[in-house]
Amino acid sequence: MTMFGIWMFGGKKRTGAAAGAVAAGDSVATGSGAAATSAIAGAAAGSTTAAGNGAADRPLIHFDSVVKVYDTGEVPFTALKGVDLRVEPGEFVGLIGKSGSGKTTLINMLTGIDHPTSGEIWVDGTPVHSLGENALAIWRGKTIGVVFQFFQLLPTLTVAENVMLPMDFCNVYKPEERVDVAMALLEQIEMADQADKLPAALSGGQQQRVAIARALANDPPIIAADEPTGNLDSKTADVVFSSFEELVARGKTIVMVTHDGDLAARVTRALHVADGEIIEDRRREGAEAP
Amino acid sequence: MSSPRWRKVFRDLTGHPVRTALVVLSIAVGVFTVSVIMGGREVLIREFEADFRASVAPSVEFDTSGFDDGLPKQVAERHDVLAAEGRRNMAMRFAPGEVGKNASTAGWETLQLSAVPDFDRSGVQKIVREEASSWPPRPGEIILEKSALMVDSFSAGDVVTVEGAASKRCELRVAGFAHDINTIPAQFQGAIAGYISMDTLQSLGEHEVLNHLSVVLDPTLSRQAATRIAADIRDTDLAAAGVQTLLITVPEPGSHFLGDIFKALTTLLLVIGLTVLGLSGFLVITTVSAIMTQQVRQLGIMKSIGARRIQVEGMYLALVVSFGVIAVFVGLLAGRYACQALIEYAAGILNFRVTDMMPPVWVMVLNVAVGMFVPVAAAAWPITRGTRMRVVRALNAANEVPRFGYGFVDRILGAIKGLPRPVALSLRNTFLRKGRLALTLLTLVLASAVVMAVLTVRTSMLQTVDDMGSWWNYDAQVFLARPLPSESVEREAKRVPGVTATETWIQAQASLMRPDGTENQGIYVLGLPADTKFIKPELTGGRWLEPDVVGEVVVNADVLSEEPGIRLGDTIRLGIRGVEDDWKVVGVVAGQMMGPIVFVDRKVLDAEISAGGAVTRLLVQASEHTIDAQVRTARDLETRLDDASLPISGSQTQQAQKKTYASQLGILITFLVVLAGLLASVGVIGLTGTMTMNVLESTREIGVMRSVGASHASIFGIYITEGVVVAVMAWMLGAVISWPLSRVLNTLLAGALGLQLSYRFSVEGVLLWLVLVVAIAVFASMLPAWRASRVSIRDAISYE
Repeated sequence: MTMFGIWMFGGKKRTGAAAGAVAAGDSVATGSGAAATSAIAGAAAGSTTAAGNGAADRPLIHFDSVVKVYDTGEVPFTALKGVDLRVEPGEFVGLIGKSGSGKTTLINMLTGIDHPTSGEIWVDGTPVHSLGENALAIWRGKTIGVVFQFFQLLPTLTVAENVMLPMDFCNVYKPEERVDVAMALLEQIEMADQADKLPAALSGGQQQRVAIARALANDPPIIAADEPTGNLDSKTADVVFSSFEELVARGKTIVMVTHDGDLAARVTRALHVADGEIIEDRRREGAEAP
Repeated sequence: MSSPRWRKVFRDLTGHPVRTALVVLSIAVGVFTVSVIMGGREVLIREFEADFRASVAPSVEFDTSGFDDGLPKQVAERHDVLAAEGRRNMAMRFAPGEVGKNASTAGWETLQLSAVPDFDRSGVQKIVREEASSWPPRPGEIILEKSALMVDSFSAGDVVTVEGAASKRCELRVAGFAHDINTIPAQFQGAIAGYISMDTLQSLGEHEVLNHLSVVLDPTLSRQAATRIAADIRDTDLAAAGVQTLLITVPEPGSHFLGDIFKALTTLLLVIGLTVLGLSGFLVITTVSAIMTQQVRQLGIMKSIGARRIQVEGMYLALVVSFGVIAVFVGLLAGRYACQALIEYAAGILNFRVTDMMPPVWVMVLNVAVGMFVPVAAAAWPITRGTRMRVVRALNAANEVPRFGYGFVDRILGAIKGLPRPVALSLRNTFLRKGRLALTLLTLVLASAVVMAVLTVRTSMLQTVDDMGSWWNYDAQVFLARPLPSESVEREAKRVPGVTATETWIQAQASLMRPDGTENQGIYVLGLPADTKFIKPELTGGRWLEPDVVGEVVVNADVLSEEPGIRLGDTIRLGIRGVEDDWKVVGVVAGQMMGPIVFVDRKVLDAEISAGGAVTRLLVQASEHTIDAQVRTARDLETRLDDASLPISGSQTQQAQKKTYASQLGILITFLVVLAGLLASVGVIGLTGTMTMNVLESTREIGVMRSVGASHASIFGIYITEGVVVAVMAWMLGAVISWPLSRVLNTLLAGALGLQLSYRFSVEGVLLWLVLVVAIAVFASMLPAWRASRVSIRDAISYE
C-alpha cells in the first residue's frame, strides 16, 4: 500500500490551473505582488511543462561556483567552497554527508532561505542569488515546497489551516476552494480525520506528513527537504520516503538532505558533500538523467 | 470564513491569555494614566474655573461701620461697577448643642457668620444651595458652608449655640448646607462659615444693618486700577452716605485664594502624568519586542512557505492593534472610575462643585494615541527587523542562546566566585538579555527615582510644617476682642497654672501707600518685643529688629510677593490706625502662610499709634507642651481673662496652628502618596512582564536544569532571585537620581505654592522603597517563577 497511490499530480484540474497561469497570468498570481513578479510566477508555473518541452540547455537547478562564508564566529567559516551543480526536472537528488559538511547550507541556498556569499544560483530561469527577501518569499511560495527536519508547523493553527496557509499567502485558488484542496491533500496522506487538530496533538510522523502536504499546497515543481526523516523512527521514515518516491513518479523534482545510508541508496542521484564541496556525484544504476 | 493567517492572529491573541494580559496591561497603564491624571487634571482645572467664574467673585470688598439696603444699589449703578451687594459679616464663637446661659465659652470654635438679605438674587459671591430643608433659612435657622463637614460632623436639624460680640447667646438650628467657593474652606482656616437671614440678627443681639459691601468690576482691570476705583467708591458713595470704611480688600483679579495650592497640585499631576506616560511607553516597547522575538521563528516559517513581507507585517500589525484596542477599552473603563474618584476627592478638599466629569476631547484622542500608536510604533522596529531577517536566521532564532561571557559586565559576573550556584545562575541570567534588562531597568529606575523623589518631597513638606511650627515658640495664644492694657492681661495670664512666660503683642491692620497713590490695605502689622522669645525669625535677608530703634520694620516674603516693587533697604509708607509714616525695611523673613506681615518693635509701634500700652494678642509658654496640655492652657487663659472682664475673640494652640499648616500641605502630600502608588504599580506590571517573558524564553533551559536534577523549589528560587536582583539595581540607581529629581520637584512646587519649602532628603523613604521594591520584585516574579517551576522536561524540550 502506498498512501500516494491515488494522487492526482499532473492530473487535469491542477495542471490546467497552472498552465492557465502561464497563459493568462491572472488566477495564480493576483494581488499586489503580481505585476512585479509575473516573470517569476511564469517561470514557476512553466516548470511543470519544462520536462516536456525539452529545454535541455538550461537545467531546472543550476549552481555556479556557489561560495558561502559564515563570519559569525571568531574565525570566518567557509561552509561552501565553490559548488557547481546541475539538476534536471524529475530527478530525486539526495545530499549526503556528515554533520557540518555543508549539505544543509547547500539546500538553504536552493530554497533561498540563505544567501550565497558569491556565485550564482538559477532555479528554473530565476536568478535566486539576486532576489531580495520579499521577492524570494513569493518565488519560493510557488516554486519550492520546503520540508524541514523539525516539521515547523505553526503551533496555533490546525492541520488544515497549516496546509491552507501557503495558498492564503500566495493567493492560489479561490478562497472557497482552498478548504477542498487542503482536504484532498490531507486525504491523500490519510490525515483528513486529523484536519482540525493542532500540531501539538500529532506524532512526529503525522506532523511531517502534514508538513509535506503543506509543501505541496501550491503545487510547486520542486520539493526541498532538509533531513525530513531525521526526527522519525525507521518505519515512519520509510513511509515518508515512499511518499517522496511517489512525488518523483508524478514529475516533481526533489532535493533532499539525509544522512541515512539506506535511504540514500534509494534516491536516483546521490551527491556526497564533504567540507563544503561535492566530492561524489553518483547516479543509481538504471536511473538515467531525464 | 476568515483565512488561516487571520485565524493565526486571533489565536496568538487568545492562545496565551497570560501573555496577552501582560501586553494589554502594559498598554492599559498608559491609557489609564492619561484618563486619570491628564483627564482628571483637565476636568479639575475646567470645573474649578467654571465654578469660580459662576460664583461671581468680588473684585473689591469693603468692611464698614454699617449701611442700609440703598447703598449697594447706588454703588451698582456706577458706570465702572458691574454689580454690588451688601451683607452683614460677623465673627462669632459657637459650640455644638444647647449650652447653659452661664457656661464658659472656653474651647468654643470660631464661626464666620454672614447675614444675607436675599439668598436667591445674590449676584455677587453666590451661595449655592446643596441640601437645605428651607431656603432661605427661616428665622432661628443657619445654613452651613459644606466644608464644615470636613472638620466636624453636622447634620440638618442639629442645634448650635452661638455667641456674638455682645455676649448674647442664641441657639440656631442647622437647616442644611450650601456651597460658597469664595469662602476659605473650614479645614484651611480652622473656622466654619454659616449663613442666616436678616431676621435672625436680632436674636443674636446684632443690628439689622449691613457692614460688608462686595463690588464686582470689569474683570480685565488690573489690581491697581481696581484699587483706584475702590478708593473712589470709598471717597464718594460711602463717604456721602456717612459710612466709615474700615478695610478695603482688593484681591488679584481672577485669582482664588486656593489658586496657589491648586496650581501646585496640577503641576504635580502634569509631572507625574508625563513620567508615567513615558514609563508605560518603555513598558510597551519591552513587551511588544519580547513578543516579536518569540515570533521570529514562526515568521521564518511563514516566509519559507511563501509569505510576503507586507502580509506578515500586516498580521503582526493587526495583532498589535488588537492588543491596543483591548487595552484602550480596559484602560478607559478603569480610568473612568479612578478619574471620578480623584476629581471627587480633590473637589471635596478644595471645596468646589463639579458639574461635568467629561474630560475634553483631546484627552480622548491622546488615550487612543497612547493605546494604539505607541504600541504600533514600539512594534514597528521589531516587526521590520523580523520580516527582513534571512529565513535561515529566523528559523534558528529559537535555538540562538543570547551570548554571555563577552562583555565587561559578564566577565565581572563570571569572576565573582563563591556564590551559591543557583544565585550565580540568577545573576548571570539577569544580564543574559541585555536589551530587555536595559528597558526594564530604565522603567524601574525611573519609577523608583520618582517614587523616592516624591517621598522626599513629602518629607520636605512635613519638614516645612515642622519648621513653621518651630518658628513659633508658644503653647497658647489668645486674641483679644479689643485693645486691652498689657499689664492687666499679662498679670491675669501669669496666674494661670503652668504658665511660665507671657508676651503681649499689638496686631493692627495696615495700609501700604504705593508711590502711585493707591494703597494695599491687606497688610497686617505685628508689634512685638524686638527680643521676643516667642518666635525664632528665620531671616532670608537683612537683620532682625533692634529694641527701641524707631522707624525700622522687618517684612515677610509675602509682602514682597504682593508688592514686587519693594526691596530690602527701601523706605515704605504705612498707614496704621490712621497714622501715616515712613519705615525702613531692614530685614526679610520667610512667609508663614499667614499673608503679608510687617514686624515692628512693640514699644516703637505703641508710641507711633499712641496705644498707651494697650495690646491685642497674648502669647504664653507653659511647662507642658502636649496637645492636651496646650488646649487646657488655652481654656484656662480664656476663663481667666473672661473672669477678669477682659473680652477675647478667640484662642489658638501651637499644635492647632501646626495642624492648619499641615492640612493645607496635606492635600499635596496625599496626592503625592497616591501618585507614588500609581508609579509603583507601573513598576510591578513592568517587572512581572519582563520576568514572564524571560521564563517563556528560558523554557528550554529550565528543562535542561530539571533534567539534571533541579527541584521545583530551586527553579522557583532562581527566578525570584533574578527579579530581586533587577529590583535592587533599579533601587540603587533610582536612589541616586531621586536626589536631583526631588530638588527639581520641590522647587517646582515651591514656585507654584509661592512658599519657601524646606528640603529634607528622605532616607526613610529610600529604605521604605527598598523594602517595597524587593516585595514588589518577589511578588512580580512569583507567577513567572511558579510557571517556570512547573515546566516539565518534555514540554521544555518540545517548546516552540
